[in-house]
Amino acid sequence: MRVEYINPFVESAFSIMQEVLQAHIDRKDLYLKKTSQPVMGVAALVGLAGDVEGRVLIDMSRDTAIKIASTMNGEELTELDDLVKATITELANMITAQAVTKLFELGFKFDLTPPSIITGDNMQVSNADVEALIVPLEMEQGLVEINVAIRERM
Amino acid sequence: MEQTAVKKHKEQAEQSRIDFKMVTFSLAGKDYGIDIMKVKEISKASKFTFVPNAAPFVKGVYNLRGDIISVIDLRVFFNLLNESEETAENDLENMIILRLDGHVIAVVVDTIDKVVGIASENVQPPHPLFGDINIKYISGVVENEGRLYVILDMERIFGTEEPTEAPERSERKAAPPAPAEAPKAAGKAPKAAPAASEENIDIGFIEETLVTFLSFYSSPVNREWIIRRFATWKSQRGDDVQLTNRQDAEAFIAPFSSPFSGTLWNPDYIGKVASFLPKSQKGNFNVWNPGCGGGHESYSVACMIKKALPEVHLRIIAHDNDLIRVSTAPGLVLGENPLGDPFEEFLTKSTKGRQFKKVIKDAVLFEYHDISHENTLPKLDMVVMRDTISYLSPDKQISVFTVLDDVLKPGGILLLGTNEEPVNPDAWEKVENAGVVVYKKK
Repeated sequence: MRVEYINPFVESAFSIMQEVLQAHIDRKDLYLKKTSQPVMGVAALVGLAGDVEGRVLIDMSRDTAIKIASTMNGEELTELDDLVKATITELANMITAQAVTKLFELGFKFDLTPPSIITGDNMQVSNADVEALIVPLEMEQGLVEINVAIRERM
Repeated sequence: MEQTAVKKHKEQAEQSRIDFKMVTFSLAGKDYGIDIMKVKEISKASKFTFVPNAAPFVKGVYNLRGDIISVIDLRVFFNLLNESEETAENDLENMIILRLDGHVIAVVVDTIDKVVGIASENVQPPHPLFGDINIKYISGVVENEGRLYVILDMERIFGTEEPTEAPERSERKAAPPAPAEAPKAAGKAPKAAPAASEENIDIGFIEETLVTFLSFYSSPVNREWIIRRFATWKSQRGDDVQLTNRQDAEAFIAPFSSPFSGTLWNPDYIGKVASFLPKSQKGNFNVWNPGCGGGHESYSVACMIKKALPEVHLRIIAHDNDLIRVSTAPGLVLGENPLGDPFEEFLTKSTKGRQFKKVIKDAVLFEYHDISHENTLPKLDMVVMRDTISYLSPDKQISVFTVLDDVLKPGGILLLGTNEEPVNPDAWEKVENAGVVVYKKK
Protein backbone atom coordinates (compact mmCIF):
# COMPACT_ATOMS: atom_id res chain seq x y z
CA MET A 1 0.00 0.00 0.00
CA ARG A 2 1.26 3.42 -0.98
CA VAL A 3 2.95 4.99 2.04
CA GLU A 4 1.21 8.35 1.63
CA TYR A 5 -2.12 6.65 2.39
CA ILE A 6 -1.09 5.21 5.72
CA ASN A 7 -0.91 8.27 7.94
CA PRO A 8 -4.30 9.78 7.08
CA PHE A 9 -6.01 6.53 8.06
CA VAL A 10 -4.06 6.15 11.29
CA GLU A 11 -4.59 9.76 12.31
CA SER A 12 -8.28 9.92 11.51
CA ALA A 13 -9.01 6.55 13.17
CA PHE A 14 -7.22 7.71 16.28
CA SER A 15 -8.71 11.19 16.46
CA ILE A 16 -12.30 10.12 15.68
CA MET A 17 -12.23 7.34 18.26
CA GLN A 18 -10.83 9.71 20.82
CA GLU A 19 -13.42 12.32 19.98
CA VAL A 20 -16.48 10.05 20.13
CA LEU A 21 -15.44 8.04 23.16
CA GLN A 22 -13.76 10.86 25.11
CA ALA A 23 -11.29 8.37 26.52
CA HIS A 24 -7.69 7.28 26.25
CA ILE A 25 -6.96 5.29 23.10
CA ASP A 26 -3.87 3.12 22.95
CA ARG A 27 -2.31 3.05 19.51
CA LYS A 28 -0.48 -0.19 18.76
CA ASP A 29 2.02 -1.08 16.05
CA LEU A 30 0.76 -1.23 12.51
CA TYR A 31 1.28 -4.37 10.53
CA LEU A 32 0.40 -6.04 7.24
CA LYS A 33 -1.87 -9.03 6.96
CA LYS A 34 -2.24 -11.50 4.14
CA THR A 35 -5.31 -11.40 1.99
CA SER A 36 -7.43 -13.83 3.93
CA GLN A 37 -8.19 -12.62 7.42
CA PRO A 38 -10.61 -13.58 10.16
CA VAL A 39 -13.11 -10.97 11.28
CA MET A 40 -13.83 -10.57 14.97
CA GLY A 41 -17.64 -10.47 14.87
CA VAL A 42 -18.80 -7.03 13.78
CA ALA A 43 -17.34 -5.42 10.69
CA ALA A 44 -18.31 -2.15 9.06
CA LEU A 45 -17.23 -1.98 5.44
CA VAL A 46 -16.64 1.10 3.29
CA GLY A 47 -15.58 0.71 -0.32
CA LEU A 48 -13.15 3.07 -2.04
CA ALA A 49 -12.92 3.90 -5.71
CA GLY A 50 -11.24 6.53 -7.82
CA ASP A 51 -7.48 6.70 -8.26
CA VAL A 52 -7.38 3.47 -6.28
CA GLU A 53 -9.52 0.48 -5.58
CA GLY A 54 -10.03 -1.08 -2.19
CA ARG A 55 -11.95 -0.98 1.03
CA VAL A 56 -11.76 -0.07 4.69
CA LEU A 57 -13.04 -2.48 7.30
CA ILE A 58 -13.61 -1.46 10.90
CA ASP A 59 -13.46 -4.70 12.80
CA MET A 60 -14.33 -5.43 16.44
CA SER A 61 -15.95 -8.06 18.63
CA ARG A 62 -19.68 -8.03 19.36
CA ASP A 63 -19.02 -7.06 22.93
CA THR A 64 -16.80 -4.13 21.96
CA ALA A 65 -19.37 -2.93 19.42
CA ILE A 66 -22.11 -2.86 22.06
CA LYS A 67 -19.88 -1.04 24.54
CA ILE A 68 -18.75 1.55 22.01
CA ALA A 69 -22.34 2.15 20.90
CA SER A 70 -23.39 2.50 24.55
CA THR A 71 -20.75 5.17 25.14
CA MET A 72 -21.53 7.03 21.94
CA ASN A 73 -25.28 7.05 22.60
CA GLY A 74 -24.96 7.78 26.28
CA GLU A 75 -27.17 4.89 27.31
CA GLU A 76 -26.67 1.29 28.35
CA LEU A 77 -27.23 -1.05 25.40
CA THR A 78 -27.19 -4.80 25.94
CA GLU A 79 -27.63 -6.45 22.57
CA LEU A 80 -26.59 -5.99 19.00
CA ASP A 81 -29.71 -4.19 17.84
CA ASP A 82 -30.34 -1.74 15.04
CA LEU A 83 -29.13 1.20 17.08
CA VAL A 84 -25.78 -0.46 17.75
CA LYS A 85 -25.39 -1.31 14.07
CA ALA A 86 -26.32 2.20 12.99
CA THR A 87 -23.84 3.66 15.46
CA ILE A 88 -20.97 1.47 14.26
CA THR A 89 -21.86 2.24 10.65
CA GLU A 90 -21.69 5.93 11.43
CA LEU A 91 -18.35 5.46 13.15
CA ALA A 92 -16.96 3.77 10.03
CA ASN A 93 -18.32 6.57 7.90
CA MET A 94 -16.69 9.24 10.04
CA ILE A 95 -13.29 7.58 10.10
CA THR A 96 -13.17 6.85 6.40
CA ALA A 97 -14.58 10.22 5.40
CA GLN A 98 -12.02 12.09 7.46
CA ALA A 99 -9.19 9.98 6.05
CA VAL A 100 -10.40 10.59 2.51
CA THR A 101 -10.66 14.32 3.18
CA LYS A 102 -7.06 14.34 4.39
CA LEU A 103 -5.99 12.39 1.34
CA PHE A 104 -7.81 14.82 -0.91
CA GLU A 105 -5.78 17.63 0.60
CA LEU A 106 -2.66 15.67 -0.36
CA GLY A 107 -3.94 15.41 -3.91
CA PHE A 108 -5.46 11.93 -4.02
CA LYS A 109 -9.05 11.66 -5.19
CA PHE A 110 -11.21 8.84 -3.82
CA ASP A 111 -14.93 8.11 -3.83
CA LEU A 112 -16.64 6.29 -0.99
CA THR A 113 -19.46 3.80 -0.99
CA PRO A 114 -22.06 3.99 1.79
CA PRO A 115 -20.93 1.86 4.72
CA SER A 116 -22.48 -1.55 5.25
CA ILE A 117 -22.26 -3.66 8.36
CA ILE A 118 -21.60 -7.37 8.57
CA THR A 119 -22.07 -9.42 11.72
CA GLY A 120 -21.62 -13.09 12.43
CA ASP A 121 -19.23 -15.67 13.82
CA ASN A 122 -16.22 -17.27 12.18
CA MET A 123 -16.08 -14.93 9.23
CA GLN A 124 -13.18 -14.30 6.92
CA VAL A 125 -12.52 -11.50 4.46
CA SER A 126 -10.55 -12.16 1.29
CA ASN A 127 -9.40 -9.64 -1.23
CA ALA A 128 -7.81 -10.99 -4.32
CA ASP A 129 -4.17 -9.96 -4.64
CA VAL A 130 -4.02 -7.20 -2.09
CA GLU A 131 -2.75 -7.23 1.44
CA ALA A 132 -4.32 -5.27 4.28
CA LEU A 133 -2.80 -2.69 6.60
CA ILE A 134 -4.01 -3.21 10.16
CA VAL A 135 -4.25 -0.24 12.54
CA PRO A 136 -5.01 -1.73 15.97
CA LEU A 137 -6.52 0.62 18.56
CA GLU A 138 -6.93 -0.58 22.13
CA MET A 139 -9.38 1.14 24.44
CA GLU A 140 -11.41 0.54 27.55
CA GLN A 141 -14.23 -0.98 25.46
CA GLY A 142 -11.93 -3.47 23.75
CA LEU A 143 -9.84 -3.80 20.59
CA VAL A 144 -10.83 -2.15 17.33
CA GLU A 145 -8.89 -2.93 14.16
CA ILE A 146 -8.99 -0.59 11.20
CA ASN A 147 -8.26 -2.82 8.26
CA VAL A 148 -7.31 -0.96 5.07
CA ALA A 149 -6.74 -2.72 1.76
CA ILE A 150 -6.07 -0.34 -1.12
CA ARG A 151 -4.21 -0.78 -4.32
CA GLU A 152 -3.33 1.45 -7.22
CA ARG A 153 -5.05 0.87 -10.47
CA MET A 154 -2.48 -0.99 -12.53
CA MET B 1 -37.76 -30.66 -34.03
CA GLU B 2 -35.38 -32.70 -32.02
CA GLN B 3 -32.50 -30.83 -33.54
CA THR B 4 -33.85 -27.46 -32.45
CA ALA B 5 -34.26 -28.80 -28.93
CA VAL B 6 -30.66 -29.95 -28.92
CA LYS B 7 -29.54 -26.64 -30.31
CA LYS B 8 -31.53 -24.75 -27.70
CA HIS B 9 -30.09 -26.90 -24.97
CA LYS B 10 -26.61 -26.23 -26.26
CA GLU B 11 -27.26 -22.50 -26.36
CA GLN B 12 -28.50 -22.52 -22.81
CA ALA B 13 -25.43 -24.41 -21.69
CA GLU B 14 -23.30 -21.83 -23.43
CA GLN B 15 -25.14 -18.95 -21.86
CA SER B 16 -24.59 -20.35 -18.42
CA ARG B 17 -20.84 -20.12 -18.95
CA ILE B 18 -20.80 -16.42 -19.76
CA ASP B 19 -17.76 -14.98 -18.07
CA PHE B 20 -16.74 -12.20 -20.40
CA LYS B 21 -18.89 -9.27 -21.40
CA MET B 22 -18.03 -6.80 -24.07
CA VAL B 23 -19.50 -3.60 -25.41
CA THR B 24 -19.94 -3.97 -29.15
CA PHE B 25 -19.83 -1.24 -31.74
CA SER B 26 -19.25 -0.83 -35.41
CA LEU B 27 -16.54 0.83 -37.42
CA ALA B 28 -17.01 1.06 -41.18
CA GLY B 29 -19.79 -1.53 -41.04
CA LYS B 30 -17.82 -4.15 -39.17
CA ASP B 31 -18.43 -5.32 -35.61
CA TYR B 32 -15.93 -4.88 -32.81
CA GLY B 33 -15.98 -5.45 -29.06
CA ILE B 34 -14.22 -3.98 -26.01
CA ASP B 35 -14.00 -5.68 -22.63
CA ILE B 36 -16.78 -4.14 -20.54
CA MET B 37 -14.50 -3.86 -17.53
CA LYS B 38 -12.51 -1.22 -19.38
CA VAL B 39 -15.60 0.82 -20.26
CA LYS B 40 -16.51 3.57 -17.85
CA GLU B 41 -19.53 4.88 -19.67
CA ILE B 42 -21.07 5.69 -23.02
CA SER B 43 -21.91 9.19 -24.11
CA LYS B 44 -22.74 11.37 -27.09
CA ALA B 45 -21.08 14.66 -27.76
CA SER B 46 -19.89 17.00 -30.46
CA LYS B 47 -17.75 20.12 -30.84
CA PHE B 48 -14.66 18.75 -29.25
CA THR B 49 -12.00 21.28 -28.38
CA PHE B 50 -9.32 21.06 -31.02
CA VAL B 51 -5.76 20.56 -29.80
CA PRO B 52 -3.14 22.16 -32.04
CA ASN B 53 -0.39 19.96 -33.38
CA ALA B 54 -1.98 16.77 -32.04
CA ALA B 55 -1.83 13.49 -33.96
CA PRO B 56 -4.53 13.25 -36.66
CA PHE B 57 -6.48 10.58 -34.78
CA VAL B 58 -6.88 12.84 -31.74
CA LYS B 59 -10.22 14.52 -32.23
CA GLY B 60 -9.59 16.89 -29.36
CA VAL B 61 -10.39 17.13 -25.71
CA TYR B 62 -13.74 16.95 -24.02
CA ASN B 63 -15.05 18.12 -20.68
CA LEU B 64 -16.65 15.13 -18.99
CA ARG B 65 -18.31 16.60 -15.91
CA GLY B 66 -15.25 18.52 -14.94
CA ASP B 67 -12.57 16.04 -16.02
CA ILE B 68 -10.80 16.88 -19.25
CA ILE B 69 -10.32 13.75 -21.31
CA SER B 70 -8.79 13.17 -24.72
CA VAL B 71 -10.97 11.95 -27.53
CA ILE B 72 -9.53 9.51 -30.05
CA ASP B 73 -11.26 8.84 -33.34
CA LEU B 74 -10.91 5.10 -33.87
CA ARG B 75 -11.90 5.42 -37.53
CA VAL B 76 -8.91 7.63 -38.24
CA PHE B 77 -6.73 5.63 -35.90
CA PHE B 78 -7.36 2.43 -37.82
CA ASN B 79 -7.72 4.07 -41.23
CA LEU B 80 -11.33 2.94 -41.51
CA LEU B 81 -12.93 6.09 -42.84
CA ASN B 82 -16.62 5.57 -43.40
CA GLU B 83 -17.03 7.79 -46.39
CA SER B 84 -20.71 7.06 -46.97
CA GLU B 85 -21.66 8.54 -43.63
CA GLU B 86 -19.72 11.77 -43.62
CA THR B 87 -20.80 13.44 -40.40
CA ALA B 88 -21.75 17.07 -40.35
CA GLU B 89 -19.99 19.42 -37.98
CA ASN B 90 -22.73 19.49 -35.38
CA ASP B 91 -23.79 15.86 -35.42
CA LEU B 92 -23.39 14.09 -32.11
CA GLU B 93 -20.65 11.49 -32.11
CA ASN B 94 -20.93 8.20 -30.24
CA MET B 95 -18.25 7.99 -27.58
CA ILE B 96 -17.16 5.05 -25.48
CA ILE B 97 -15.35 6.33 -22.42
CA LEU B 98 -12.63 3.97 -21.27
CA ARG B 99 -10.70 3.74 -18.07
CA LEU B 100 -7.25 2.42 -18.93
CA ASP B 101 -4.18 2.17 -16.80
CA GLY B 102 -5.45 4.88 -14.49
CA HIS B 103 -6.33 7.43 -17.14
CA VAL B 104 -9.62 8.04 -18.86
CA ILE B 105 -9.97 8.52 -22.59
CA ALA B 106 -12.87 8.54 -25.00
CA VAL B 107 -12.96 6.79 -28.35
CA VAL B 108 -15.32 7.82 -31.11
CA VAL B 109 -16.97 5.02 -33.12
CA ASP B 110 -19.68 4.85 -35.80
CA THR B 111 -22.47 3.24 -33.80
CA ILE B 112 -22.61 1.58 -30.43
CA ASP B 113 -24.52 -1.67 -30.53
CA LYS B 114 -25.09 -3.50 -27.24
CA VAL B 115 -23.49 -5.55 -24.51
CA VAL B 116 -22.75 -9.13 -25.50
CA GLY B 117 -21.93 -11.83 -22.98
CA ILE B 118 -19.75 -14.68 -24.13
CA ALA B 119 -17.77 -17.54 -22.69
CA SER B 120 -14.11 -16.55 -22.85
CA GLU B 121 -13.17 -20.06 -23.99
CA ASN B 122 -15.00 -19.35 -27.26
CA VAL B 123 -12.67 -16.49 -28.09
CA GLN B 124 -10.40 -17.48 -30.94
CA PRO B 125 -6.94 -16.03 -31.33
CA PRO B 126 -6.65 -13.47 -34.11
CA HIS B 127 -5.68 -14.74 -37.51
CA PRO B 128 -2.71 -13.03 -39.16
CA LEU B 129 -4.81 -12.35 -42.23
CA PHE B 130 -6.82 -9.58 -40.56
CA GLY B 131 -5.77 -6.69 -42.65
CA ASP B 132 -7.39 -3.50 -41.59
CA ILE B 133 -6.48 -3.41 -37.92
CA ASN B 134 -2.97 -4.24 -36.88
CA ILE B 135 -2.99 -7.72 -35.40
CA LYS B 136 -1.25 -6.85 -32.17
CA TYR B 137 -4.21 -4.72 -31.13
CA ILE B 138 -6.64 -7.63 -31.32
CA SER B 139 -7.10 -9.93 -28.39
CA GLY B 140 -9.36 -12.33 -30.25
CA VAL B 141 -12.39 -12.99 -32.38
CA VAL B 142 -15.68 -14.39 -31.17
CA GLU B 143 -18.92 -15.43 -32.79
CA ASN B 144 -22.25 -14.51 -31.26
CA GLU B 145 -25.68 -14.93 -32.81
CA GLY B 146 -24.26 -15.23 -36.27
CA ARG B 147 -22.02 -12.16 -36.08
CA LEU B 148 -18.29 -12.11 -35.72
CA TYR B 149 -16.86 -9.62 -33.27
CA VAL B 150 -13.24 -8.55 -33.25
CA ILE B 151 -12.25 -7.91 -29.64
CA LEU B 152 -9.84 -4.98 -29.37
CA ASP B 153 -7.18 -4.84 -26.69
CA MET B 154 -7.51 -1.22 -25.65
CA GLU B 155 -4.72 -1.45 -23.08
CA ARG B 156 -2.33 -2.33 -25.82
CA ILE B 157 -3.62 0.25 -28.24
CA PHE B 158 -3.26 3.14 -25.84
CA GLY B 159 -0.69 1.66 -23.50
CA THR B 160 2.27 3.14 -25.37
CA GLU B 161 2.72 6.73 -26.33
CA GLU B 162 3.21 6.07 -30.02
CA PRO B 163 1.33 2.88 -30.70
CA THR B 164 1.84 2.89 -34.44
CA GLU B 165 5.59 2.80 -34.03
CA ALA B 166 5.80 0.65 -30.94
CA PRO B 167 8.25 -2.19 -31.41
CA GLU B 168 6.60 -5.47 -32.23
CA ARG B 169 6.94 -7.47 -29.10
CA SER B 170 5.41 -10.87 -28.88
CA GLU B 171 3.93 -11.17 -25.41
CA ARG B 172 3.47 -14.86 -25.82
CA LYS B 173 6.47 -16.83 -24.83
CA ALA B 174 8.00 -18.88 -27.56
CA ALA B 175 9.01 -21.68 -25.26
CA PRO B 176 7.49 -22.71 -21.96
CA PRO B 177 9.31 -20.96 -19.11
CA ALA B 178 11.89 -22.92 -17.24
CA PRO B 179 10.45 -24.22 -14.00
CA ALA B 180 11.26 -21.95 -11.08
CA GLU B 181 12.28 -24.84 -8.92
CA ALA B 182 15.39 -25.53 -10.94
CA PRO B 183 17.34 -28.38 -9.48
CA LYS B 184 20.18 -26.05 -8.59
CA ALA B 185 20.30 -27.19 -4.99
CA ALA B 186 20.46 -30.79 -6.07
CA GLY B 187 23.25 -29.98 -8.52
CA LYS B 188 25.23 -28.27 -5.78
CA ALA B 189 25.00 -31.08 -3.28
CA PRO B 190 27.55 -33.47 -4.85
CA LYS B 191 30.05 -30.62 -5.14
CA ALA B 192 29.88 -29.94 -1.42
CA ALA B 193 29.83 -33.60 -0.43
CA PRO B 194 33.56 -34.38 -0.69
CA ALA B 195 34.35 -31.59 1.79
CA ALA B 196 35.02 -32.65 5.35
CA SER B 197 31.76 -33.48 7.05
CA GLU B 198 32.80 -31.45 10.07
CA GLU B 199 33.05 -28.37 7.91
CA ASN B 200 29.57 -29.05 6.58
CA ILE B 201 28.24 -29.22 10.07
CA ASP B 202 29.95 -25.94 10.91
CA ILE B 203 28.44 -24.27 7.86
CA GLY B 204 25.10 -25.77 8.77
CA PHE B 205 25.33 -24.21 12.23
CA ILE B 206 26.28 -20.86 10.79
CA GLU B 207 23.39 -21.01 8.36
CA GLU B 208 21.00 -21.67 11.21
CA THR B 209 22.41 -18.85 13.34
CA LEU B 210 22.08 -16.41 10.45
CA VAL B 211 18.40 -17.27 10.23
CA THR B 212 17.95 -16.80 13.98
CA PHE B 213 19.79 -13.50 14.35
CA LEU B 214 19.31 -11.78 11.01
CA SER B 215 16.62 -13.84 9.24
CA PHE B 216 19.19 -14.35 6.48
CA TYR B 217 18.46 -17.58 4.66
CA SER B 218 21.16 -19.61 3.02
CA SER B 219 19.88 -20.96 -0.29
CA PRO B 220 21.04 -21.43 -3.89
CA VAL B 221 20.76 -17.63 -4.18
CA ASN B 222 23.80 -17.08 -1.95
CA ARG B 223 25.24 -20.55 -1.26
CA GLU B 224 28.44 -19.86 -3.23
CA TRP B 225 29.13 -16.77 -1.18
CA ILE B 226 28.44 -18.54 2.13
CA ILE B 227 30.97 -21.24 1.28
CA ARG B 228 33.63 -18.70 0.23
CA ARG B 229 32.90 -16.50 3.23
CA PHE B 230 33.13 -19.46 5.59
CA ALA B 231 36.62 -20.23 4.33
CA THR B 232 37.83 -16.67 5.04
CA TRP B 233 35.97 -16.57 8.32
CA LYS B 234 37.64 -19.78 9.41
CA SER B 235 41.10 -18.49 8.54
CA GLN B 236 40.43 -15.32 10.57
CA ARG B 237 38.78 -16.91 13.55
CA GLY B 238 40.63 -20.23 13.79
CA ASP B 239 38.73 -22.69 15.95
CA ASP B 240 36.21 -20.17 17.18
CA VAL B 241 34.05 -20.26 14.05
CA GLN B 242 30.63 -20.33 15.63
CA LEU B 243 28.42 -17.27 15.66
CA THR B 244 27.34 -16.93 19.26
CA ASN B 245 25.53 -13.62 19.18
CA ARG B 246 24.06 -10.99 16.92
CA GLN B 247 27.36 -9.07 16.62
CA ASP B 248 29.11 -12.19 15.35
CA ALA B 249 26.35 -12.77 12.84
CA GLU B 250 26.57 -9.17 11.65
CA ALA B 251 30.34 -9.39 11.34
CA PHE B 252 30.00 -12.56 9.29
CA ILE B 253 27.43 -11.06 6.97
CA ALA B 254 29.06 -7.60 6.64
CA PRO B 255 30.92 -8.26 3.35
CA PHE B 256 27.71 -9.59 1.80
CA SER B 257 26.06 -6.24 1.17
CA SER B 258 26.21 -4.78 -2.31
CA PRO B 259 27.88 -1.43 -3.01
CA PHE B 260 25.88 1.70 -2.09
CA SER B 261 23.40 -0.06 0.18
CA GLY B 262 21.34 2.62 1.86
CA THR B 263 23.02 5.47 -0.04
CA LEU B 264 22.70 6.95 -3.50
CA TRP B 265 24.67 5.07 -6.13
CA ASN B 266 27.81 6.77 -7.40
CA PRO B 267 28.09 7.91 -11.04
CA ASP B 268 30.48 5.08 -11.89
CA TYR B 269 28.12 2.36 -10.67
CA ILE B 270 25.17 4.07 -12.37
CA GLY B 271 27.10 4.18 -15.62
CA LYS B 272 27.82 0.46 -15.44
CA VAL B 273 24.22 -0.48 -14.65
CA ALA B 274 22.90 1.95 -17.29
CA SER B 275 24.96 0.15 -19.95
CA PHE B 276 22.54 -2.78 -19.65
CA LEU B 277 19.46 -0.67 -20.39
CA PRO B 278 17.85 -1.06 -23.80
CA LYS B 279 19.27 1.48 -26.25
CA SER B 280 15.97 2.77 -27.49
CA GLN B 281 12.67 2.23 -25.86
CA LYS B 282 9.42 4.10 -26.03
CA GLY B 283 6.24 3.88 -24.06
CA ASN B 284 6.13 2.50 -20.55
CA PHE B 285 9.16 1.36 -18.61
CA ASN B 286 8.18 -0.39 -15.38
CA VAL B 287 10.65 -1.22 -12.65
CA TRP B 288 10.08 -3.19 -9.46
CA ASN B 289 12.31 -2.40 -6.51
CA PRO B 290 11.47 -4.66 -3.56
CA GLY B 291 13.38 -3.90 -0.39
CA CYS B 292 13.74 -0.22 -1.24
CA GLY B 293 14.32 0.80 2.39
CA GLY B 294 14.67 4.56 2.70
CA GLY B 295 14.38 5.04 -1.06
CA HIS B 296 17.99 5.86 -2.02
CA GLU B 297 18.18 2.92 -4.38
CA SER B 298 14.82 3.72 -6.02
CA TYR B 299 15.83 7.34 -6.61
CA SER B 300 19.19 6.26 -8.04
CA VAL B 301 17.43 3.95 -10.48
CA ALA B 302 14.90 6.67 -11.34
CA CYS B 303 17.61 9.24 -12.17
CA MET B 304 19.62 6.65 -14.09
CA ILE B 305 16.68 5.70 -16.32
CA LYS B 306 15.40 9.26 -16.76
CA LYS B 307 18.85 10.24 -17.95
CA ALA B 308 19.43 7.24 -20.21
CA LEU B 309 15.90 6.95 -21.61
CA PRO B 310 14.28 10.38 -21.35
CA GLU B 311 11.48 9.40 -23.73
CA VAL B 312 9.95 6.62 -21.67
CA HIS B 313 7.09 6.86 -19.24
CA LEU B 314 8.91 5.58 -16.16
CA ARG B 315 7.24 3.93 -13.22
CA ILE B 316 9.15 2.43 -10.31
CA ILE B 317 7.21 0.38 -7.82
CA ALA B 318 9.25 0.43 -4.62
CA HIS B 319 8.27 -1.92 -1.80
CA ASP B 320 9.48 -2.39 1.74
CA ASN B 321 8.02 -3.96 4.83
CA ASP B 322 9.85 -1.58 7.17
CA LEU B 323 7.15 1.02 7.73
CA ILE B 324 9.36 3.64 9.34
CA ARG B 325 12.01 3.61 6.62
CA VAL B 326 9.66 3.45 3.66
CA SER B 327 7.51 6.25 5.14
CA THR B 328 10.44 8.64 5.00
CA ALA B 329 11.26 7.74 1.40
CA PRO B 330 8.78 10.00 -0.48
CA GLY B 331 10.14 13.08 1.28
CA LEU B 332 13.84 12.17 1.20
CA VAL B 333 16.00 15.21 1.93
CA LEU B 334 19.61 15.32 0.76
CA GLY B 335 22.53 17.33 2.05
CA GLU B 336 24.36 20.07 0.21
CA ASN B 337 27.26 17.89 -0.93
CA PRO B 338 27.48 17.73 -4.71
CA LEU B 339 26.22 14.38 -5.96
CA GLY B 340 27.46 14.52 -9.53
CA ASP B 341 25.89 13.18 -12.65
CA PRO B 342 23.04 12.23 -13.12
CA PHE B 343 21.58 13.49 -9.85
CA GLU B 344 22.28 17.23 -10.01
CA GLU B 345 19.86 17.94 -12.84
CA PHE B 346 17.02 16.22 -10.98
CA LEU B 347 17.43 18.07 -7.70
CA THR B 348 15.63 21.11 -6.43
CA LYS B 349 15.99 23.23 -3.34
CA SER B 350 13.24 23.21 -0.73
CA THR B 351 12.96 24.77 2.71
CA LYS B 352 14.15 21.51 4.32
CA GLY B 353 17.10 20.92 2.02
CA ARG B 354 17.62 19.49 -1.42
CA GLN B 355 14.95 17.15 -2.73
CA PHE B 356 14.28 15.32 -5.96
CA LYS B 357 12.21 17.12 -8.57
CA LYS B 358 8.58 16.24 -9.19
CA VAL B 359 9.43 14.35 -12.37
CA ILE B 360 11.46 11.88 -10.30
CA LYS B 361 9.07 11.75 -7.36
CA ASP B 362 6.13 11.09 -9.65
CA ALA B 363 7.98 8.21 -11.26
CA VAL B 364 8.52 6.36 -7.98
CA LEU B 365 5.63 4.83 -6.08
CA PHE B 366 6.61 3.85 -2.54
CA GLU B 367 4.43 1.18 -0.98
CA TYR B 368 4.37 -0.47 2.43
CA HIS B 369 4.22 -4.08 1.35
CA ASP B 370 5.53 -7.46 2.40
CA ILE B 371 6.83 -9.26 -0.69
CA SER B 372 6.23 -12.63 0.94
CA HIS B 373 2.53 -11.84 0.50
CA GLU B 374 0.76 -11.69 -2.84
CA ASN B 375 2.60 -9.46 -5.35
CA THR B 376 0.40 -7.68 -7.87
CA LEU B 377 2.57 -6.09 -10.53
CA PRO B 378 2.26 -4.82 -14.08
CA LYS B 379 4.51 -6.20 -16.84
CA LEU B 380 8.04 -5.23 -15.86
CA ASP B 381 11.07 -4.12 -17.85
CA MET B 382 13.50 -4.23 -14.96
CA VAL B 383 13.77 -5.57 -11.42
CA VAL B 384 16.24 -4.13 -8.91
CA MET B 385 16.37 -6.52 -5.98
CA ARG B 386 19.74 -6.21 -4.28
CA ASP B 387 20.29 -8.06 -0.98
CA THR B 388 16.57 -8.55 -0.55
CA ILE B 389 15.81 -12.08 -1.65
CA SER B 390 18.39 -13.58 0.76
CA TYR B 391 16.28 -12.35 3.66
CA LEU B 392 13.27 -14.41 2.59
CA SER B 393 12.75 -18.04 3.45
CA PRO B 394 13.74 -20.39 0.57
CA ASP B 395 10.14 -21.22 -0.38
CA LYS B 396 9.35 -17.49 -0.54
CA GLN B 397 12.47 -16.96 -2.67
CA ILE B 398 11.14 -19.49 -5.15
CA SER B 399 7.73 -17.83 -5.18
CA VAL B 400 9.33 -14.43 -5.90
CA PHE B 401 11.18 -15.95 -8.86
CA THR B 402 7.91 -17.47 -10.03
CA VAL B 403 6.43 -13.97 -9.95
CA LEU B 404 9.36 -12.69 -12.03
CA ASP B 405 8.85 -15.51 -14.48
CA ASP B 406 5.32 -14.23 -14.89
CA VAL B 407 5.66 -10.45 -14.96
CA LEU B 408 9.16 -9.66 -16.24
CA LYS B 409 9.14 -9.19 -20.00
CA PRO B 410 11.43 -11.40 -22.09
CA GLY B 411 14.77 -9.56 -22.28
CA GLY B 412 13.93 -7.78 -19.04
CA ILE B 413 16.79 -6.99 -16.67
CA LEU B 414 17.25 -8.38 -13.17
CA LEU B 415 19.81 -6.73 -10.88
CA LEU B 416 20.54 -8.84 -7.81
CA GLY B 417 22.97 -8.24 -4.96
CA THR B 418 26.66 -8.60 -5.82
CA ASN B 419 26.78 -11.94 -4.01
CA GLU B 420 23.47 -13.31 -5.17
CA GLU B 421 22.35 -15.32 -8.17
CA PRO B 422 18.93 -16.48 -9.42
CA VAL B 423 17.48 -19.75 -8.12
CA ASN B 424 16.70 -20.78 -11.70
CA PRO B 425 19.89 -19.91 -13.61
CA ASP B 426 18.68 -21.66 -16.75
CA ALA B 427 16.02 -19.03 -17.30
CA TRP B 428 18.53 -16.15 -17.35
CA GLU B 429 21.40 -14.91 -19.45
CA LYS B 430 24.23 -13.57 -17.30
CA VAL B 431 25.69 -10.29 -18.58
CA GLU B 432 28.66 -8.54 -17.02
CA ASN B 433 30.22 -5.10 -17.34
CA ALA B 434 33.36 -4.36 -15.28
CA GLY B 435 32.28 -6.33 -12.24
CA VAL B 436 28.59 -5.46 -12.33
CA VAL B 437 26.42 -8.42 -13.21
CA VAL B 438 22.83 -8.40 -14.36
CA TYR B 439 20.59 -11.22 -15.55
CA LYS B 440 18.55 -10.92 -18.72
CA LYS B 441 15.42 -12.99 -18.95
CA LYS B 442 15.60 -15.49 -21.78
